[in-house]
Amino acid sequence: MNTPRISPETLRVLESFLERPTGWHYGYELSHQTKLKSGTLYPILMRLEKYKLLEARWVATQEGVPPRHTYRLTPNGLELARTRLAEAQSRWLVRQPALSRG
Amino acid sequence: MLEFPLRHVATVLLESAIRIAPADTREWGEAMRGELSFVDGQWAALMWAFGGAGMMVKYALISIFIPGRGQGIPPGDELFAKNVSLGKAALVGGAGCILASLLFFGAPPFRQAFRVALRPWYFMFQIASGDSQHGFQALAKRADSQRDPEGLAFCAVRIENSRESARLAEEAVRLNPNLLWVYAVVGMRHPELPQIGPWMARLKQWDTQNSLFHLIEAESIDRSHFRRGVWTPSTQEQEQAWHTAMAAAFQSPRFDDYFDRVAELNREVIPRYGFYDPYEVESREQLELPVAAFENSQRFAKSLLRSGEDFEARGDWKSARDKYWAVARFGQIVDSQGRTGFEHLTGTSLQAMAYKALQASSERGDNQAEAALFGYLAAKFDPISGEHPGFPKESAFGLNTARRNAAVVQISGLMILVCSGLLVIAVAILIVGRSSSQGTRPSVERAKPVATLILSSSAVGLLFSSVTLYLTYRPYWYIFQSAVLNGGRSQARDLIYFLNETKLPAGVSPRSYLLVHSLVYSGSPNFLFYVWTGVTLLGLIGLALILLRHFLSRMRVNRLQNHPRVP
Repeated sequence: MNTPRISPETLRVLESFLERPTGWHYGYELSHQTKLKSGTLYPILMRLEKYKLLEARWVATQEGVPPRHTYRLTPNGLELARTRLAEAQSRWLVRQPALSRG
Repeated sequence: MLEFPLRHVATVLLESAIRIAPADTREWGEAMRGELSFVDGQWAALMWAFGGAGMMVKYALISIFIPGRGQGIPPGDELFAKNVSLGKAALVGGAGCILASLLFFGAPPFRQAFRVALRPWYFMFQIASGDSQHGFQALAKRADSQRDPEGLAFCAVRIENSRESARLAEEAVRLNPNLLWVYAVVGMRHPELPQIGPWMARLKQWDTQNSLFHLIEAESIDRSHFRRGVWTPSTQEQEQAWHTAMAAAFQSPRFDDYFDRVAELNREVIPRYGFYDPYEVESREQLELPVAAFENSQRFAKSLLRSGEDFEARGDWKSARDKYWAVARFGQIVDSQGRTGFEHLTGTSLQAMAYKALQASSERGDNQAEAALFGYLAAKFDPISGEHPGFPKESAFGLNTARRNAAVVQISGLMILVCSGLLVIAVAILIVGRSSSQGTRPSVERAKPVATLILSSSAVGLLFSSVTLYLTYRPYWYIFQSAVLNGGRSQARDLIYFLNETKLPAGVSPRSYLLVHSLVYSGSPNFLFYVWTGVTLLGLIGLALILLRHFLSRMRVNRLQNHPRVP
């Protein structure tokens, strides 16, 4: 069976979420951890949210400052993230000898 | 000091982008806006805003080009793929541009314009191969195999090789004796042919009053002095024959160059063979009275005028006037019945000479009123300052417009080639990237967005160049159509100016072109052919090596995937 195509950027985002699997994450914090720019990170978050793999909520901070959007993986998202990362890791391990051999 | 303004600029930028974004993505814009206050550093905040604004603009564009697409969520398997919506929009737009450009090739004016645009390069190859009349020679072969007299006659009057031209003319007349006039047109181009004598004898019986045959005969006699590069003085017999021919020409009541018959032949032959080559119209201009006909008629006219002066000196005014009027009458016939600028020039020059002689004669006879009339006529027919200049200005657009349009057409044609080349490269990268999407080729994967950008911009360039080429060439297409359908030379001068300009690459001055040309062809006439063949072969070898490397690496990856080595 063909495995779904997955971009390295999406993997990085999922990996970042799995560092605190049940915690809420800010966009800037994710950007900082994954080294992704806002223009790359947010489309990924949008798609994950659209497929109900991610939930989002607004959080009020201090007065006069706009509220912040925070994100957390849903149970489905969590399961899928673990599966995909495991698959990616196994693929990477398979390739390592071949790549080192040139 | 700059912190406040930069963060403010970032906020304004992001908020502006949120305003133009589709409704379903604005929330995400607000999310980025909310984070902006927490980004460390003013430059980082600006970069954050740029990224977010770019994303919002991207979704705004997608919603314009693909309505209802919203966030551009890819279906099924591509859930985790990097966002490809803009890439897909670019590819769809690019494909549309390529399709529209290809549709242009369905239009005959565009196909002709494209051939004209590539003419400088094609022209160089033609000269390198020593085959500057390939089209006419191929057509002659077809007409020969089909035993088509009109097709043979069409080629006979245009082919520069005198022997081949004579052979085709004789074959055409043998198949259709009504085409006998072709001998006259071929004779005008090639008066040095040994067949001129028998040809003119037949023509004189067929069209008894035409002065053209006598002019060709005189020119043929003139050319007989110059054989194989050696000038031999004319014998008394040759001189006598020349005088007889010229006297017969000056006494003939008609002048017909048969160009109306050539035009009729064009109308028949061009559609029959689909020979829609604009440079063919240019070749019509080469059908002309021999240059020496002007010199011969001037020389003979001067001898008649001298003879008139001799009669006048002896007091024989009537004989003198007859000589002067013979020149004026012949000039008037050639001027009024000729169809080309050169024929008008020949006619007007003779008239001006004759009227000047008549003016002088009248002054000597103390007839001032008559002298004033002849003086007026002499000024009127002066070939340079007169009312009827020898070369009428038939050009509507002018040389500068022709030069500019030729440059636009050539650059557009070149841009079509360049854009097509870039398209091929971009498509090749995308195909290779698609086949190695498992991540085996990160470099190819990284090149894909660039390839998409090249593809879309090249497609837009291709369409823009195609539209420019079509619109610029369109007026010349109509002139060409008019020349083919009506056979006339109306506005043909504009087309010829334009075609002449297209023979040189845009921006190259004739002087430098000739210099390069002489250097390039100083050795082997096929030098350019070898150069281009070498360049093409190197390109092909390079492409083959790239493909070989690609397929070898793919094979290796496939082998590893089928037999993984798990540690």
